[in-house]
Amino acid sequence: MPSVLLLCLLCMAHPVHPHLIQVCGGVQTDTQMATSEYGHAMVLRRLLRKRWVLGVVFGLSLIYFLTNTLKQEERTIRDRTLLEARDPDHRIPWKVRFNLGNSSRPITQCRNSIQGKSLLTDELGYVCERKDLLVNGCCNVNALSSRQYICKSCLANGCCNIYEYCVSCCLQPDKQLLLEHFLNRAADGFQNLFTAVEDHFELCLAKCRTSSQSVQHENTYRNPQAKYCYGESPPELLPI
Amino acid sequence: LNTILKYGLEAQMPWRYLTITMFSPLSTEYIVAFNGYFTAKARSHFISSALKSSEALDWRIVPRKNPASDFPSDFEVVQIRQASHSSLLTLEDHPYIKRVTPQRKVFLPDPGATCNNDTRWTQKWQSWQSSRPLRRTSLSLAFGFWHATGRHSSRRLLRAIPRHVAQILQADVLWQMGYTGSGVKVAVFDTGLSEKHPHFKNVKERTNWTNEKTLDDGLGHGTFVAGVIASMRECQGFAPDSELHIFRVFTNNQVSYTSWFLDAFNYAILKKIDVLNLSIGGPDFMDHPFVDKVWELTANRVIMVSAIGNDGPLYGTLNNPADQMDVIGVGGIDFEDNIARFSSRGMTTWELPGGYGRVKPDIVTYGSGVRGSGMKEGCRSLSGTSVASPVVAGAVTLLVSTVLNRELVNPASMKQALIASARRLPGVNMFEQGHGKLDLIRAYQILNSYKPQASLSPSYIDLTECPYMWPYCSQPIYYGGMPTIVNVTILNGMGVTGRILDKPIWQPYLPQNGDHIDVAVSYSPVLWPWAGYLAVSISVAKKAASWEGIAQGHVMVTVASPAGNNVGGEMTSTVKLPVKVKIVPTPPRSKRVLWDQYHNLRYPPGYFPRDNLRMKNDPLDWNGDHIHTNFRDMYQHLRSMGYFVEVLGAPITCFDASQYGTFMMVDSEEEYFPEEITKLRRDIDKGLSLIVFSDWYNTSVMRKVKFYDENTRQWWMPDTGGANVPALNDLISVWGMAFSDGLYEGDFTMADHDMYYASGCSIAKFPEDGIVIAKTLKDQGLEVLKQETAVVEGVPILGMYQTPSEGGGRIALYGDSNCIDDSHRQKDCFWLLDALLQYTSYSMTPPSLIHSNSRVTPPTGTDRPLPERLEGNHLYRYSKVLEAHLGDPKPRPLPACPHLSWSKPQPLNETAPSNLWKHQKLLSIDMDKVVLPNVRNYRPQVRPLSPGESGAWDIPGGIMPGRYNQEVGQTIPMFAFLGAMVVLSFFVVQLTKSKNKPKRRKPRVKRPTYLQQQQQQQLAPTGKNPTV
Repeated sequence: MPSVLLLCLLCMAHPVHPHLIQVCGGVQTDTQMATSEYGHAMVLRRLLRKRWVLGVVFGLSLIYFLTNTLKQEERTIRDRTLLEARDPDHRIPWKVRFNLGNSSRPITQCRNSIQGKSLLTDELGYVCERKDLLVNGCCNVNALSSRQYICKSCLANGCCNIYEYCVSCCLQPDKQLLLEHFLNRAADGFQNLFTAVEDHFELCLAKCRTSSQSVQHENTYRNPQAKYCYGESPPELLPI
Repeated sequence: LNTILKYGLEAQMPWRYLTITMFSPLSTEYIVAFNGYFTAKARSHFISSALKSSEALDWRIVPRKNPASDFPSDFEVVQIRQASHSSLLTLEDHPYIKRVTPQRKVFLPDPGATCNNDTRWTQKWQSWQSSRPLRRTSLSLAFGFWHATGRHSSRRLLRAIPRHVAQILQADVLWQMGYTGSGVKVAVFDTGLSEKHPHFKNVKERTNWTNEKTLDDGLGHGTFVAGVIASMRECQGFAPDSELHIFRVFTNNQVSYTSWFLDAFNYAILKKIDVLNLSIGGPDFMDHPFVDKVWELTANRVIMVSAIGNDGPLYGTLNNPADQMDVIGVGGIDFEDNIARFSSRGMTTWELPGGYGRVKPDIVTYGSGVRGSGMKEGCRSLSGTSVASPVVAGAVTLLVSTVLNRELVNPASMKQALIASARRLPGVNMFEQGHGKLDLIRAYQILNSYKPQASLSPSYIDLTECPYMWPYCSQPIYYGGMPTIVNVTILNGMGVTGRILDKPIWQPYLPQNGDHIDVAVSYSPVLWPWAGYLAVSISVAKKAASWEGIAQGHVMVTVASPAGNNVGGEMTSTVKLPVKVKIVPTPPRSKRVLWDQYHNLRYPPGYFPRDNLRMKNDPLDWNGDHIHTNFRDMYQHLRSMGYFVEVLGAPITCFDASQYGTFMMVDSEEEYFPEEITKLRRDIDKGLSLIVFSDWYNTSVMRKVKFYDENTRQWWMPDTGGANVPALNDLISVWGMAFSDGLYEGDFTMADHDMYYASGCSIAKFPEDGIVIAKTLKDQGLEVLKQETAVVEGVPILGMYQTPSEGGGRIALYGDSNCIDDSHRQKDCFWLLDALLQYTSYSMTPPSLIHSNSRVTPPTGTDRPLPERLEGNHLYRYSKVLEAHLGDPKPRPLPACPHLSWSKPQPLNETAPSNLWKHQKLLSIDMDKVVLPNVRNYRPQVRPLSPGESGAWDIPGGIMPGRYNQEVGQTIPMFAFLGAMVVLSFFVVQLTKSKNKPKRRKPRVKRPTYLQQQQQQQLAPTGKNPTV
C-alpha cells in the first residue's frame, strides 16, 4: 500500500505527463467538481502547481513509507542475524562481565546450578551436596562436602564427567582467558546462546552443557565419560 | 531423526516429527440442514422436490448406517455429481432447507510416510446443526454438561461440531477471572512462525536453529501449534498474553537433527522458559544426548509437554520424548470422547524384556478437528497428537499464570494436578487414555490448593478392574506363574531430586486375604528429575495354590526430598498404593503358554528390519514384540481360547518347564547361550512343546535393505533379517530341523482359510516322520534383488513333529510371523495358532492339515546350504548374549536369573475401600477452598461452518477485557497512514478539479470515462492530452 501511494505522488510531482494523473486520480469524475467555484479552484490550482507544496507532500509520504519499511527490515535483520553464517573472523558480540573472584561484596543471594541429582554449584564456584545448600541458594562453605573451584573428574582437554564440577572448574578466575578466547571464536551456531549470556556464572552454566559439539552420529556422545566441557575443544571422539 | 530408505523407492522418515492433517472438503458431498427434525422419507422428499428444477443433476442421498438413522433428523448427506453453484442455491430455496454445506473428510496419512496407501484411512466427519442455545445457569451444572464422558448421552450431536477448543475446555472461566497467561514464558519448538501473523501479540523472540535462513513457518505446523497456545483472535488459544518464544528447529522439509535440538534446548534453559511444547516425537528413546537433555530441561523447572505420537491404533507405538516420566505425554481424542485412531498407545518399551512398561500417555485431550491459526492468517482445522499437545501446553500456561506462588509450580506438581483432575473416559484402558481427559477447571482448583507431595501414577493397582486396567484384568494370577509386574511412576512435587526413605512396606489386609499374595518392590535409587519408578511384582503365595478369590493390601512408600528452607532438612511425603488382585487355582500345564520375550530385539538401538518387506515406509521393527504391544490381538485371542499366557523376560534357563505346555518363540532376533540350547533340548524331551514363528533371513536382501540414515549420517545395515534364522537353526538343529534363507511372499489357501505369507522363510530341513505343508509362493528375494517375478511351487512353510522320546514334547515351525503380528498384518492366522496349540498342548493333530493335498515329504536340506550369519554384522552391540571378541563375537557368560526379594509383610487388620480409584487423589486438596466466581458464561451459538467462512467465528466481547488496546505502538502508524490518505485524496480532488476547468470552455465529451479507457488501451502513444 505505501508503494502505491508513493507512485501516485511521484506522478503528481511530474506535471510533464499529465495523462498519468488521470490514471491516478481520474477515478473521481468531473460531475462532482461541476459545482465548484471557478475562482476558488484557481487559487488551489496555483497552490498545487507550486513545487514546494508537492515537495512537502512527497517528502511526508516518503518519510512515512521509509520508516514503515525500515522498521520491518530492522526486525527481520535482528531475527536473521542470530544464526546466519558469517565470515570466519567475525566475533559474536558477547557481553560477559567476568567477576574476578576477588569481590569483597558479601553475597546475600546465590544463583546455583539448580538441576543436579545430588550436587550443586553456586555462583561463587562452590560445589556442595544438596543438603548443604543454604536457604539463600549458596553452598554452606563450612560444610565438609563444599569445595570451591574444584576440577574433579575433569580431563586435560577441559571435559568433565560431572556437570557440577565442570561449572566449578570453569568458574576459576584463571579460566577467563580461555573463555574469552572461546567466545571470540565461537561458532555461529552458538551465537544465540552466548550473546544472551551475561556473566561468568551464566557462561559456565551454558558452556558446560552438552551441545551439538558433544555428539557423533547425532544420537551418541563423542565421549560419554567426559561430555561436559568448559574448554574450547569438543569431547574426545571415542569409537562406538 | 530422519532416515532415508534406499530400497526400491526412496522414502523419507522424519522420526521426530508428528504430522498433523487437514480437513479437505469432499467436493461431491453436501450436508443439507433442515429447519426441524424430519423422518428419512420426508427429508428425501424435500430434497427431491427442491432439486426437481435441475433435472439433469445426478444426486443421491448418502445412507448413514448408525442407530440414529431410524429417528427423525435435521440433516441429510447428499452426494451431487458436478454440483453447480446454482443447484445448491435451488436446494437452499426450499422452505424446509436451512443450509447446504460441503461435507468434509478427515485425511490422516501414516505419520512421516509421504505416500503409503496401506495405512491410509478416512473417516467421514459430519457437522450437525443445533438451534438449541447453550445457556448455563450455574457452573457446577456446566461442569457436568461439558465434561460428561458418557458417550451415549444426547449431547453427542453438539460435540461433533468443531469449536474453539479453549472454550470447550472452559478457558473462558479463567479468562474472566483475569488470568490470560501473562508473565509465563512458553517455548514452541516447531517449524517457526511468520513475523506479522495477526493472531499473536506477544511474540517475545523468534530463533532459528536449522540450516535454513528463515524464521518463518513454511509448513503451517508451528503456526498452528503456537495459535492453539496463544492466539488472541479468531480461533483463540488458551493463553493470549503469554510470552511466546518461537524456536524453529524443523526445516520446511521436516528435517531436524538432535544437535539442533541440543543447542536450542540450552538456549531455552538460559531463557528460563516455563512451559515448552514439543509437538514432535520419534521412536528412538535410546538417543541418549536427546533424552538426557530433556531430563536436564525438566530439572531446570521447564514443564515439558509432548505429543505421544500418531502411530495408533497399533500398540507399542509411543514416541519419545512424550514417553519419559518427567514429560507430560499427551494423547488425542475426538469431540465425542473417543480415543483418536491415530493416537499412539501401549506401554513404554524401555523396560523390556526384563521389566514391564509404564503407563502412557499421561492424559488425553482434543486432537481431532481442532481449530487453530492458519499459516498466514485465518483459521483451519487439523488433527493429530501434535494438536493435542499444544492444547495441554496452552492449558498449562494458563494454569501457571493462575498460581500466586510460582515456587509451587514445577514439572511434577503440574503433572500431578493434571492427572489428579483428569476425567476418566469409560471403556478405555489406561494404556490408551492414561489418566483421562484434561479438565482445566478442576486442574485449576487442585493446583491452587496444592501442597508439595509425592504421588503415584497409576495411583492404585486393581488387577480386577476392566477395561481400565487392561491387560492386567484380562488374566487372573495363580501360584507358580511369572510374577505380574506393575511399573508405577512416582511423581515428586517436593523437589527435583528425592529418594525413597527406608523401604516400601507391603501391608496385606488380613480380612481381605492379603496374605495370599507376595509382593516385591524395586525402585529408582534416586528420583530425578522429579520422578522415578516403583516396580511392584505380585506373585501368589504357595498356600493359595488352589484357592480362588480376591486378595487386597497396600504398599506404603515414603519419599523424601531436600527441603529448600532449612539446611539439611528434608520434606517427606507418604503414599499408599492399594493392591487388589484376583487369584485362581493354577491352570493345568496344557493351558499355559510361555512367550519368549528375552530373544526379541528391536529398534532402538539396532537396525532390526520389519518382518514384512513390503512396508518400505516403516523399515524398523520398533513395537517391542510383546504380547501387550504388537502381539496384542494374538494375546487376546489366546485368552479367549482359554490359554494362560505368561512372558519370559530372562534366558530359557530361568523357567520351570514342567509348568508350561507350550513355549512360543516368535520373530526372535537374539542369539542363544549354549546353556539355553541344552536346557531347551532337555525340556522338550520331558514334555515341553515348542512353537516357532520364524521370519526371513537372507544376507543378500539384508545388504539390499541397508539405508542411509540422514540423522546419524551413516549407512545402516541390518544386524539380522526379520528373524535371526542362523541362531534359530542352532537351537533346533538337534531335532534335524532348519529354516532356509529363501524369501517368499504370496496369497494362498490353507485348510479353507485365506492366508498371506508376508516375507517369510521356508523350512529347509525337517525330520522325515514329521508333517510338512508346502505352498506355491512368489520368490520375493528375487523380486527385491533383481526386480524379477518368479513363482516357486512346493515351498515348505509349516512343519509339525512329535519328538521320539517317551513323553516328549512336540515342535511346530512356521516360516512367517506377520500373520499373528498386529503391525502391517493383512490376514490373521489365529486359527493356525489354535491348531498348532492343539497339537503342541494336547497332541491333537489337526485333520485339516494332515489330510491336505499340500502335504509333502519333509525336505532334507541337502539341495541348498543353510543360511550363514551376515559377515561383519554388529549384532554384538545390541545383544545380551554376544560380546565383541577378536575375530567372531563370543557368547558372554550366562547371566544369573533374576531374583526377587519379597517384602516382609506387615499385616493389617483393616479393609480397603470398595472403590480404590476414587480414594486415590492428591492429598490435602480441598476443592471447595478454591472458589470460582459465578460468572455468566456466554458462548457463541455453535453452527457448522459454511464454505469460505474460515475465520468468521465471533468471539464474544468481554472475554478478554481491555486487552486489545494495549497495542498503542501499533496505532501510531495507522494514524499517520490515515493522515497521508486524507492529504492525498485532497490533492486528488484538487487535481481533478483543475483538469475539469478546460471543460467549461470546450464542448463536453459525452462519455469521458470511455475515452479515457480507450486512451489507456492504446498505451497513450501520441503523448497527447486526453480530450476530457
